Amino acid sequence: MALLKGTLDVLVLKTLSWGPMHAFEIVSWLEDQSGGRVAVEDAAFLQAVHRLEERKLLRAEWGTTKNARRARYYSLTERGRAHLRVESSRLVDHLDALVTILGAKQRAAAP
Amino acid sequence: MRAAIRDGVRRLLRLPSRTARQIRDEVDEELDGYLGARIEQLVSRGMTPDEARREAVRRLGGSLERVRAELRHSATRRERHLAVRERVEEGIQDVRYALRGLARQTGFTATVSLTLAVGIGATTSIFSALNALLLRPLPYARADELMKVTLVTPGRGAVHGSDEMVWSYPKYAVFRDGQRAFTDVSAYAPNDFTLTSGEVERIHGETITSHYLPVLGVRAELGGNFASDIDAHGDARREALISDVLWKRRFNADPRIVGQIIDIDRQPFTIAGVTPEGFAGLSGQAEVFVPITTRSAEDLNQAFDHEYSVVTRRRPDISAGQARAMTALVGQEVDRRFPDLEIGKAWSAKAEPLDHARVTSRIRRSLWVLMGAVALVLLVACVNIANLVLARASSRGREMAVRLALGAGRARLVRLLLTESMVLAALGGALSLVVSWIGIRLLSRVDPTAIGGVGRSRSYGLVTVNSIHLDIAALVFTLGAAIVVGVLFGLAPALHATRASVAETLKDGGVSTIQFGRRLSARGLLVMTEVALAFVLLVGSGLMIRSVANLLSVPIGADPRNVLTVRLTAPPGTVPRDSLPGLYENILRRLAALPGATRVALGDCPPLNDGCNRTFAARGNETRGPDRSPLVGIHWVSARWFETLHVPVVRGRVFTDADRVGAPKVIIISVSTARKLFPGENPIGQRLSVGQGGFSGGADIVGVVGDVRQSMDSTPMLDTYIPFAQSPRSGMMIFIRTAGDPAALAAPVRSALREIAPRFPVYDLKTLSARTAAISAPARFSTTLLGLFAAVGLSLAAIGIYGVMSLMVTERRRELGIRMALGADQSAVRRMVVRQAARLAAAGALIGLIGAFSLSRVMRALLFEVTAFDPATYLVILFILCAAALAASWIPARRATLVSPMEALRQG
Repeated sequence: MALLKGTLDVLVLKTLSWGPMHAFEIVSWLEDQSGGRVAVEDAAFLQAVHRLEERKLLRAEWGTTKNARRARYYSLTERGRAHLRVESSRLVDHLDALVTILGAKQRAAAP
Repeated sequence: MRAAIRDGVRRLLRLPSRTARQIRDEVDEELDGYLGARIEQLVSRGMTPDEARREAVRRLGGSLERVRAELRHSATRRERHLAVRERVEEGIQDVRYALRGLARQTGFTATVSLTLAVGIGATTSIFSALNALLLRPLPYARADELMKVTLVTPGRGAVHGSDEMVWSYPKYAVFRDGQRAFTDVSAYAPNDFTLTSGEVERIHGETITSHYLPVLGVRAELGGNFASDIDAHGDARREALISDVLWKRRFNADPRIVGQIIDIDRQPFTIAGVTPEGFAGLSGQAEVFVPITTRSAEDLNQAFDHEYSVVTRRRPDISAGQARAMTALVGQEVDRRFPDLEIGKAWSAKAEPLDHARVTSRIRRSLWVLMGAVALVLLVACVNIANLVLARASSRGREMAVRLALGAGRARLVRLLLTESMVLAALGGALSLVVSWIGIRLLSRVDPTAIGGVGRSRSYGLVTVNSIHLDIAALVFTLGAAIVVGVLFGLAPALHATRASVAETLKDGGVSTIQFGRRLSARGLLVMTEVALAFVLLVGSGLMIRSVANLLSVPIGADPRNVLTVRLTAPPGTVPRDSLPGLYENILRRLAALPGATRVALGDCPPLNDGCNRTFAARGNETRGPDRSPLVGIHWVSARWFETLHVPVVRGRVFTDADRVGAPKVIIISVSTARKLFPGENPIGQRLSVGQGGFSGGADIVGVVGDVRQSMDSTPMLDTYIPFAQSPRSGMMIFIRTAGDPAALAAPVRSALREIAPRFPVYDLKTLSARTAAISAPARFSTTLLGLFAAVGLSLAAIGIYGVMSLMVTERRRELGIRMALGADQSAVRRMVVRQAARLAAAGALIGLIGAFSLSRVMRALLFEVTAFDPATYLVILFILCAAALAASWIPARRATLVSPMEALRQG
């Protein structure tokens, strides 16, 4: 399923709220969590990460992976955390509304 | 190496951010790692490595190269963005840091910002005057096309020619009809009028041609211009335009004013229109404009009665230079038609942009000199502040060294120190607005129009001091000055303070980065600069003071003390000409009876007023025509005028009551006139004819009197005097010599005149000394300012010397203690300190001397009977400067001798 606009950012932030990760860790975590239902295009994802860093929602540092390779580790900044709070509740509200509307239609059609 | 430093640390230490190459490498490394991890993942899910790789690349959008390029691009943008953000944050941090530091040292902060406030404020005030009087465009449409056209007269023997001669109507007509360079031309002359309807009032006005307003692009606010045929010769309809000011004052801004009648000099004029607000003619004070054709045809036909200024609008396709050349050609035509046979040399004509003529060249030059002087003061203030900032910076030498050692860039530290200076400059700049507000108010009060000439306008010309405001230009100037000043006094100390070698300073304990003696220190250099600048300022103001003193000491030839003067004009038609002598006789008698009045007389012109009237004179019974006779001043005086003004009689007699209408015409001449017209002869009893007052048929010379100065800075004019009783005029000036304070008689004189001549406007009541003082007022004013600037500059330089000497004594306590312990006596120590100061002052004065010499060319044109290299001035200033340097070093020198050897050694 393709993602709604702006959703990818929130998902990345949400993922990082568990702790610092490098880019592929984020992607695979997202894929695992969604059971493969969320397909992230790799190029767009990497750009999104850069953009989030530019907006100071993420900070990046070089670290070492389990396999002893160098990788860029991303973590949330204070601003990132605040942004996540605001945006995720907005998104949830939005989805809630969608669900209500779509659900109501079905019930109205039932009788 | 750098990549190994964590980003956070790098930012903390203010190390430079990543280079473009580093960014590229990082992007590549991340992308490769990502790709590797994805392939690994896919392989672990059962793909072959080849399949996995293809799939991974596919997920990246198919082209690895494109993704790489995109990511590199976005990473670069990200880094740039972050760097800018960091800069801004750094800047804010620096400002906070500076504010904290400055708040801790209130004394330093207050000293610096107040010094700056005065310096910048004074500079802004002078700049505002400069801007209003010289720079701001004239308030007319396409003002660059306006040109002023003047006649150029050749010199007459000792008398210099002039290139600013006004025109006579016949000559103007030749120019008007012959010129091709201008779309339109016009003439005007300042003219005083009496309003005779309602309350009698004397007002300034202009006599103008009908094209005057169209040339300037000024349209009447109400009504319109005169009918265009009104320049035709002959008696024209009497129409007048009135100024907005007059309309509001006398007519209560009556909207139906057009077509109403106003009585000017007892003639009814139809009001044709009202000029727009703020317009007061090119003479700067006009309230009423009447057409030139209301003058009599006889007046207008006098080719050598020069009275009219000419203003023109240049054709847009012709340059100012071309217009000038074409005007010179028309000037030749004018000279062919009206040749000057007396001089036998050709007159010509000159066109120059009206903008150049807005103020006299003298005022233009004084303004620039003042601007230069005040900028010098600001510079001295900057140097002084630089010294203070340097002292402060070197007391923080240790802090700087530690920062440098930890790897902070020098540029970064310079920026930190500069920020501090800019914050100080901003503070000073903000405070300076108060100073300039006051300064501008003071400047706009110096009103040259208060001098009050008669025929000649003495205003600054096209622009008035009232137009000096604290406007946008001034604010921009203040801002610019603050920035320049901040860099000026901040940069040198910042560079100096961060230059200190790390090891040396740390080892040293950060005490001394400055050495005296063989090597010239930064501070010594600054003080020398200050002394040099102060020297230049002192020379400039010294020369001006001498010049003004010379100007004021010129003998006027009359005694202006204890004389009250007032003008009185019989409105035309109220008194027949024949009754005027009797009427004025009554008035004089009445005034002479006032307690406190000792002598009373009539004249037409006060001294130092550029001699109100000029005409042509010749020996014998007829002038040979105005074109071949010398120009003389002519004055109408009553019998006791010479006595009243204490003008000495050199030969013969003054007028008596017997010299009246019917008696033989008599004339008195000045010493200079006698010398010129009757060289080596006794003029008494000879005949002289002059071109005005009905004396062109000749008169007996009965006396020779001393020269009276008509202007301060030129040789005496050739003056002639004719008796008022033989040539009565309606408007005269009354001179009253008083026993005590003349001003005390002002009120009684006014009420006496109102009683005896109720329909006559009484105006321009002033003491004669106030008049003569007003003539030199602009010169005295600018000299006072220059003197003030010089004094401020000198004090700042003295403070600078004091500061450096004090510091030196403090830094050398230890050495001084040892010297004294070894037996050096107090006077030797004192001499050492003073010698040091004297050396700085002498070096500074030498540099200043060179500076003053090179600037003297600018000053020369402003000076009166002083050369720009006046040795006395230079010597006095050298003396003042030495005295100031000695005084400034005396306290530190004394302190040096009080150093107790034991204490100095223990503390050091």
